[in-house]
Amino acid sequence: MGKIEWAMWANEQALASGLILLTGGIVGVAGQFRDWQFAAYAVAAGVFVCLLEYPRGKRNKGTSVERTGQYCFTVCVKSFGPLTRNYYVRAFIHAGICVPGGFMLATILGCVCLGIASLIYLAAAIRGEHWEPILPRKDSARKPVADSINRPPQNPPPRPPAEMRRKRAEDLEGAAYVNPIPVTANE
Amino acid sequence: MALSVRSWVANEGGKHFVLLLWLGGNTWLFMRTFLCYYYGQQYHYLHKMLGLGLCISRASASVLNLNCCLVLLPMCRTLLTCLRGSHRVTSRKARRLLDKSKTFHVACGVAICVFSAVHVSAHLANIVNFSVRYSEDFPSLNVARYKGEDPRLIILTTGITGVLLVLILFLMFTASSYCIRVSNYEIFWHTHNLFVVFYVILMLHVLGGALKYQTNIEAHPPGCLRANQSSPDPTREESGQALGDGRSCKEEARFQPNSPETWLWVSGPLCLYCAERLYRYIRSNSPVTIVTVVRHPCDVIELRMLKKDFKAHPGQYIVLNCPSVSSFENHPFTLTACPTEKKETFGIHLRVVGDWTERFAELLLPDPRAESEILPMVQQRRYPKLHVDGPFGSPSEEVFNYEVSLCVAGGIGVTPFACVLHTLLDGWRRFRLRRLYFVWVCRELQSFYWFAELLCALHRKLWQENIPDYLNLQLYVSQTDGLQNIPEERYQPLSSRLLIGRPRWKLLFEEIGKTNKHKRVGVFCCGPKGISRTLHRLCNSDRYSGTTFEFNKESFS
Repeated sequence: MGKIEWAMWANEQALASGLILLTGGIVGVAGQFRDWQFAAYAVAAGVFVCLLEYPRGKRNKGTSVERTGQYCFTVCVKSFGPLTRNYYVRAFIHAGICVPGGFMLATILGCVCLGIASLIYLAAAIRGEHWEPILPRKDSARKPVADSINRPPQNPPPRPPAEMRRKRAEDLEGAAYVNPIPVTANE
Repeated sequence: MALSVRSWVANEGGKHFVLLLWLGGNTWLFMRTFLCYYYGQQYHYLHKMLGLGLCISRASASVLNLNCCLVLLPMCRTLLTCLRGSHRVTSRKARRLLDKSKTFHVACGVAICVFSAVHVSAHLANIVNFSVRYSEDFPSLNVARYKGEDPRLIILTTGITGVLLVLILFLMFTASSYCIRVSNYEIFWHTHNLFVVFYVILMLHVLGGALKYQTNIEAHPPGCLRANQSSPDPTREESGQALGDGRSCKEEARFQPNSPETWLWVSGPLCLYCAERLYRYIRSNSPVTIVTVVRHPCDVIELRMLKKDFKAHPGQYIVLNCPSVSSFENHPFTLTACPTEKKETFGIHLRVVGDWTERFAELLLPDPRAESEILPMVQQRRYPKLHVDGPFGSPSEEVFNYEVSLCVAGGIGVTPFACVLHTLLDGWRRFRLRRLYFVWVCRELQSFYWFAELLCALHRKLWQENIPDYLNLQLYVSQTDGLQNIPEERYQPLSSRLLIGRPRWKLLFEEIGKTNKHKRVGVFCCGPKGISRTLHRLCNSDRYSGTTFEFNKESFS
């Protein structure tokens, strides 16, 4: 019904793929299998992907939930400007990173998962989404003291000004006025 | 605040007992299968070829069988509603366990993901071993076609079903995080519906028959001497007792694939769940007439509907689907009025918050600003077609089964309790409930007008029947810079019970504890997480003169 934000799902997938790639790489290096250099690359690539994908982007509508401690990552990722803002760039980066993982058995799963994440990022980019950092709000949401204490009411209640109200001894009849709102003892 | 063992056991004991049972079942199954493959004579040669990877992969597969079976059961909501409704069948402790069905589903899902990871890693090691330790002696045991075959080729040929299963599981798992469910529920719903494909491919996966066992152990004891072999295997000792020391074999070893047992585990729950979905689809196709639409302050719309053969208990919820708004979206709403003998309509109160409710509200009530420009005409109101699925059970149904209940509502979370109050208005004597503490916290004062009539009517009725302390009402307005007074005279019972600010829960619990000593009080919360966490913590602590507080939480998604 409403607009689906594909980038959020792609972000979860990319983070999970980064972790899978990292784990596969560690296993490949530790076991000293054949082609373990690809596993070493996978460790580095996995760490890079995790760092890039850890800060969640801001939602278009609604409240965005941050991941724990993501503020420093947000600052780092934000500093790359359009490279990280644009999802086309991310899609191609992930597609490029995942290819060498396919050459070794331990990292092949991370490669496939990162490829899927790259496709979803491409879909998000085609729909015009981009990454917005979640930054803490600068101004406090609610002022602690209500405004009315600093700004007294500008208009007096509906009654004539003081000069007219002051009863002049010579003109008692003229000083009387009719209350516009009926006043009763108990409401 | 100190944790009280008795309160903790009353609140958390049942859940943790089921958790322990489930963990125990998984552990037992894992160990049993592991030991079977480690020591079993029929797997002797296979074990020699594959090593520990065989045992771990088979053990995790059996745990996966169990969890794939259990994961579907908590989602059979109609079945759970029936279990909850039949009081003679289940005790209150068991019904409280049903509140945690979604948590159990998540636990089984997480177990499936974890053990799939273990299973995949073990099978990757197996594939490498199949390739590297290609067996010339027992060619039928091999999966690789020749020694040193590229493991990736083996995956693509024999293991393709496994690859597809992992990909589907990856899609389902990444779309199930809390963040995605809250923001883009459709992604979660549609990927989760891929479970059908998952189960079908799972049944095909176990037919692969890559792992074989030896059928003729008596005729060919594993490790026995063969005619053209000069010495017995030197690795005999590691793989358990080999019976055939020094004896010659009568015949060649014969192997046969394991018979698949996944279908035994999975077919029952799968059929049950599919039957339940079919039943719900048929039930929701019967027509629903919209009788009244009322607009309330603070973006709330009340909807009264009529449906044939619709029976509900207070506290239950229904799921609405409006094809004119969106064909695939289903949204749950708690009933605020159940059908009774006197009145057959049932009602919901819905808050206009997201795009579905906005569009739905537009269809029900055209914009009043647009109407002022048109000459007032009596028009036939054409309401949109609606599908109602339900009713489904929820924890709030238990309010009547405690002698003393505390109901805490936050904002629109008052809806299950509104239904409870409607039912009490009809007659309170037939229930076990003798005292109800009702705390309603709202941001704005106008929200109380949603149910002001109902609260005052109930208050008046209870006064007239001389049980004024049956209902203890406390209304709180949490935002301090709005209106703070209910001026209407007919709502005077509410204005005298209105308090500004947030409630002080500890004091409230102490008061309830002192006036209801040695009783079991049911605490029902339907509201924001902060409130429910505080209440949960207070229920587990111990300062209340022997009163036990049992916590029941209504969850929104």
